[in-house]
Amino acid sequence: MNSVEMAVTVYASLTRHLIRSLLATLGIVLGIAAVVAMLAIGEGGRLEALRQIESQGVDNIILRSVKPAEGNVQQTSRSYTQRYGITQADFDHIRNVFENVRLLVPVMDTRRDIYQGQQTTDIEAVATIPEFLEATRCRLVDRRSRFLKPSDGKVLDPVCVVGVKAARRLFGHQDPIGGTVVVGNISFRVIGLMESPGGGRLAGQYDLNNVVCMPLDTARSLWGGITFRMGRGVAEQVDYDFLYVAAKDIDAIPGSAGRLRSYLKSVHPQVDYEVQVPYELLQSARKTQRIFTIVMTSIAAISLLVGGIGIMNIMLANIFERTREIGVRRALGARKRDILWQFLAESVLLTSIGGALGSGLGIATASIAETVSRMGGESGLKAVVTSESLIVALVVSVITGITFGTYPAWKAAQLDPLTALRHE
Amino acid sequence: MGVPDTQQTRQPLIELQGLAKTYEAGGTLIYALRPTELTVRHGAFLTVMGPSGSGKSTLLNLFGLLMRPTSGVYRLEGRPVSGLNDNDTSTVRCRMIGMVFQSFNLLSHLTIQENVCVPMQYAGLPRAKMHLRAQALLDQLGLAGRYGSRPTQLSGGQCQRVAIARALANDPPVILADEPTGNLDEKTGQEVLEIFQELHRAGKTIIMVTHNPIYRKYATQSVTIHDGRMKES
Ligand SMILES: Nc1ncnc2c1ncn2[C@@H]1O[C@H](COP(=O)(O)OP(=O)(O)OP(=O)(O)O)[C@@H](O)[C@H]1O
Ligand SMILES: [Mg+2]
Repeated sequence: MNSVEMAVTVYASLTRHLIRSLLATLGIVLGIAAVVAMLAIGEGGRLEALRQIESQGVDNIILRSVKPAEGNVQQTSRSYTQRYGITQADFDHIRNVFENVRLLVPVMDTRRDIYQGQQTTDIEAVATIPEFLEATRCRLVDRRSRFLKPSDGKVLDPVCVVGVKAARRLFGHQDPIGGTVVVGNISFRVIGLMESPGGGRLAGQYDLNNVVCMPLDTARSLWGGITFRMGRGVAEQVDYDFLYVAAKDIDAIPGSAGRLRSYLKSVHPQVDYEVQVPYELLQSARKTQRIFTIVMTSIAAISLLVGGIGIMNIMLANIFERTREIGVRRALGARKRDILWQFLAESVLLTSIGGALGSGLGIATASIAETVSRMGGESGLKAVVTSESLIVALVVSVITGITFGTYPAWKAAQLDPLTALRHE
Repeated sequence: MGVPDTQQTRQPLIELQGLAKTYEAGGTLIYALRPTELTVRHGAFLTVMGPSGSGKSTLLNLFGLLMRPTSGVYRLEGRPVSGLNDNDTSTVRCRMIGMVFQSFNLLSHLTIQENVCVPMQYAGLPRAKMHLRAQALLDQLGLAGRYGSRPTQLSGGQCQRVAIARALANDPPVILADEPTGNLDEKTGQEVLEIFQELHRAGKTIIMVTHNPIYRKYATQSVTIHDGRMKES
């Protein structure tokens, strides 16, 4: 029997008990739906993690000053000053001693409020150097925009570059370029608009699109050593809040990060810093992905085992019920292998239909999960259905059909023609 | 020349040499068919008669390669076929033998045209050719225009005609029929017998098991079986 005739035969048999057949595939449907939905959510999570990591810059090592739990508080004449974080000495050491450094970009958090009229906003004002743009993978937006220049800090005309989100907040529909931003009590002239295309965060903290950048020198000459007065007379002094170390050689990052960590450990008596290595996050994201895949595979295997047993069950019942048909076919000239293929094809078709329905259900489930998880806030699950996952679903359902259809089909083929023919 | 029965001059289609079938049941041997010698030539119309349980179906199933003999040789067109493997046996069944059953044995989920196509599917005929042939056979058997009907929508006589069309599908040299009229009333049975007679006239070899001695009048050769012992009569 050729394949066209086989398809016609199998189709005719299957449509005979359509509802029963579809119910038999329920296990496969649910198994495949689980596979597709979880692959979609897993892929979404992976892409999201990658996007976040990549927006940090895989070639960066980022240091962040962290206020220690028990502060190193020094009594001065009138108040406490808490000094912590990455120091000028650290900066100099890295610049002078470390190899594999392409860019070294210090960032200070001015800890000054930005006003919109009389209202303070959540926009962060940071002070940095011209290479900031490159290190954070931001880009300028308006054609008239420019970023900070080395000469900017030296003039008595304070300038700043504004993130797109901050600009929308501060200027609405008005043209931000040439406009004025008030930081603390100082007015800054806007010379540029910048954007982080990936929606990146400054050292994983501030939304880069919601910051205002000013020259480091300007901030220093305005506010000196960046001492910030907190309530109850406690002040903080931090030399650099963030330090971007862009590597020359990405592959050497694990070594550089290790040396940096041991250096910091040796000079900082307490852990008042954090070392972020997107490259390592990338590696651990891959590891997480592997674990996820293993878990996924186990769940899929169990549900498909259950589904496959359902298929085997229905096929055995089918074959018992159709024993006489098998006898008739054998009497009319069907070979054992014709019978084998017929019933194997039937179970593969069943599981494939189950796979198709399951894929549909899986896609629906994933998008519902996405919608529901986003109902609370803006961040939630993300589902990405790839064509690979659909191919995997189809292949898996076909393999399930073969695995669990072979025994019933073999049994059907082994039936004695005459005995089958006499079956009531 | 001038011999009224041309049968003797024709080539043997079926030759049985000491063919026997025994069953073992509870330690005792049952001779369903004792060692049998028989030659059926091309173009013969053989009727097989005998009481119930005498071994008629056993003989027919041996002819139809649906069971293996316990001993002896079965030649079909000169070729020993009882020792063939399952695959070759199926091919012989497919191309050389057409079977008609007492209970029709049509596949109820297929249309009658599809039923007639089944042996041709196993013979590997192209689809279009298969459909044309099925329709021609159904036309020939008085079922023109009923191609899309299901067996359940037909009378017993019509079903048996579909079964005969199916037996003819691959144009086999021999048609085996085990009590083809057993499930039909007398009139319908008579009609079916006339179909066999027509096929015989057209050159087919017919082997038919029957209980009805009237049908012997169509036969060119006749055997009777008693307790597994076959006698030509
Ligand atoms: N599978 C079997 N196992 C044991 N004995 C069997 C088997 N099949 C048939 N027989 C025996 O073989 C003998 C011949 O049976 P067979 O079916 O050929 O009879 P028959 O002449 O066709 O009878 P009927 O006219 O009732 O159809 C019977 O005694 C029957 O009991
Ligand atoms: Mg019988």
